[in-house]
Amino acid sequence: MKQIKVKVISLIGFTLSAFGLATTSFAADMPAPFDNAGDVKIALVRFLSTGDFFQAYLGGVESQAEALGVDLRVFDSRQDAALQADMVDQAITLGVDGIIIQHGLTESMKDAAQRAVEAGIKVVAFDVNVENTSIPQVEQSDYLLGKLALEQALKDNGNTFKAGYVYVPGIAPLDRRNVAWEETLAANSGIEEAAVFGTLDNPIANSIANQARSVLQANPDITVMFAPYDEFAKGVKIAVDEAGLTDQVDIYSADVSTADISAMLEPGSAWVATVATNPAVVGEVSVRSLAIMLAGGDPGASVIVPPTLITQSFLSEQGIKNMGDLGAKMPQFQHADVAMTDWMPLPAR
Amino acid sequence: MNKDILREFAIRFGFILLAGLLVLFFSFFASGFAGPRSAVFIFQSVAITGILALGVTCTLVVDGFDLSIGSVATSALMLSAYMMVVLEQSAFVAVMACLLMGAVVGLVNGLLIVKMRVPDLLATLGMMFLLIGLQRIPTEGRSISTGMRLPGGQVADGTFAEGFLWLGRHRIDLFLEKLIPVPVIIFLFISVLIWVFLEKTRHGRLMYAIGSNERAAALAGTNVFGYKILAYMISGITASIGGILLAARLGRGDIASGNNLLLDSVAAALIGFAVLGAAKPNAFGTAIGALFVGILLQGLTMMNAPYYTQDFVKGAVLVVALIFTFALSSRVRGGNH
Repeated sequence: MKQIKVKVISLIGFTLSAFGLATTSFAADMPAPFDNAGDVKIALVRFLSTGDFFQAYLGGVESQAEALGVDLRVFDSRQDAALQADMVDQAITLGVDGIIIQHGLTESMKDAAQRAVEAGIKVVAFDVNVENTSIPQVEQSDYLLGKLALEQALKDNGNTFKAGYVYVPGIAPLDRRNVAWEETLAANSGIEEAAVFGTLDNPIANSIANQARSVLQANPDITVMFAPYDEFAKGVKIAVDEAGLTDQVDIYSADVSTADISAMLEPGSAWVATVATNPAVVGEVSVRSLAIMLAGGDPGASVIVPPTLITQSFLSEQGIKNMGDLGAKMPQFQHADVAMTDWMPLPAR
Repeated sequence: MNKDILREFAIRFGFILLAGLLVLFFSFFASGFAGPRSAVFIFQSVAITGILALGVTCTLVVDGFDLSIGSVATSALMLSAYMMVVLEQSAFVAVMACLLMGAVVGLVNGLLIVKMRVPDLLATLGMMFLLIGLQRIPTEGRSISTGMRLPGGQVADGTFAEGFLWLGRHRIDLFLEKLIPVPVIIFLFISVLIWVFLEKTRHGRLMYAIGSNERAAALAGTNVFGYKILAYMISGITASIGGILLAARLGRGDIASGNNLLLDSVAAALIGFAVLGAAKPNAFGTAIGALFVGILLQGLTMMNAPYYTQDFVKGAVLVVALIFTFALSSRVRGGNH
């Protein structure tokens, strides 16, 4: 059980971030309780934490909490559903003002979330349905992630091709992305689903690479791989390169990270497009939604952060090398105009 | 009498025969299964777990067990990435650091077991948790890749050295262009090395002696403690080699517990008991055991079998192998005595 206490940055001694550029947009008057932000305690209770996405998400939560000046506590249950529920209770005991539940299982989190609400704590949930009307859902639209990637695949390859698909059922975001895949299959009879495979064995990219290689050996005429999760795409890319099919296969995926960008930019890389919501922005939006609730407002029952299509050609034309560059060249990726109020301070860019 | 010969034959060659039949089956029913590249793929998919399994075999030989190999491998994965990406060291330094780490972990495991008298399962279990935690401390739980943000705020500029990636990705021409990946060669090399060490040298035979009767071996003047520690060090080093190859293939330091690596390699070593009716840990059997699982998984994936069948199949193979080892072999032996 790990608790990181994130340092509260005082309003006076704000140091410039290493990135330069820093002007903080502290809104002049924040409403109560943020007029005394240092006394506001919020907790982030996590279910998933390994992988680039979750690291960046945490980064966004941290920077938005820092911008608001609140005291953030991070609880990480590392995929232990029972522990995650206990951690919500710990946060209640700790006397936090707000809780962000990040992923988890409906069954285990529903009651814990209800207990927090009953204790007078404001709660928002990211990517987990806790079946509670007083808890807003922050979501990246997984359906749209899949849809945009597949639209690009159709644009690049026409509507007749042989495809491989990486899918593990029972994982909520993958299930939602799967809806887009099934729709596309139904609407385009020319697409042949030659193979469906997938695993979440650690390290995921390596296990996927082993499977994808077998699939490519059995179906050497596959031209499109739909791998709607970046760990899947990494594995497929390893297999495609090893099979020497780099020029023939196009990989379409979802999510993005600095490592993903460099993989897409390798000379002749088969990974041609990905669709992503900036996980850091999702983290910021989660904190902002909670802040709106703490100030007595209502962010709405569902707060959706829209995704963006990122193609290989866009990356190379704009000379984008990492997530920082991507944000600079793609403003819609850097900041999502959701869960905003006129008093909301934004993190320094 | 005839029945006995038949049973003897089944125990001795049953498993290899089964593997042969599987290959035939998949060649007919999975298009693209038969062929040199496909064969090499199988070797590659089992190379890393196979190397780990060979290390476990050494600890099994001295009647020990090493639960920490999976986490040693992922620690080596993180360490090599950290050396190159954050500290900007060369491939050579990264590899040496990993091997040293593996050897030290093995030494500590061995000392805990022989000097502190901690039971092997518990000592290596403790080490496993220790390493899973330790590998995350330097990066505060983040994965390592070029361009990552460090805990201090600066950006890591180092990259994986070409020479290091070569270890995991290069393929050597043999009849066909770019046929055999380096990890497969390392796997075969280590297999032969461990096989020779265990079967053909005095040291290996003494280790088997320790495994079958530690007290008798000690009375005969064997340095029991020394050999036990050696077994754990071999296991630590082979596990770190596995981790290095994993890092070279992935090209980044992904945090992972390595539990799947542990289970797969232990399964391979245990399946190895059944090969050639050895009924004891042996390097040849371990390598065959790893390949057997690889053949099955490759064939099933090619035939579009869903992912959850994989664990089921691994389990089934292991159970059958254990039946071969314990039920059939002991019956024959019982009959002979």
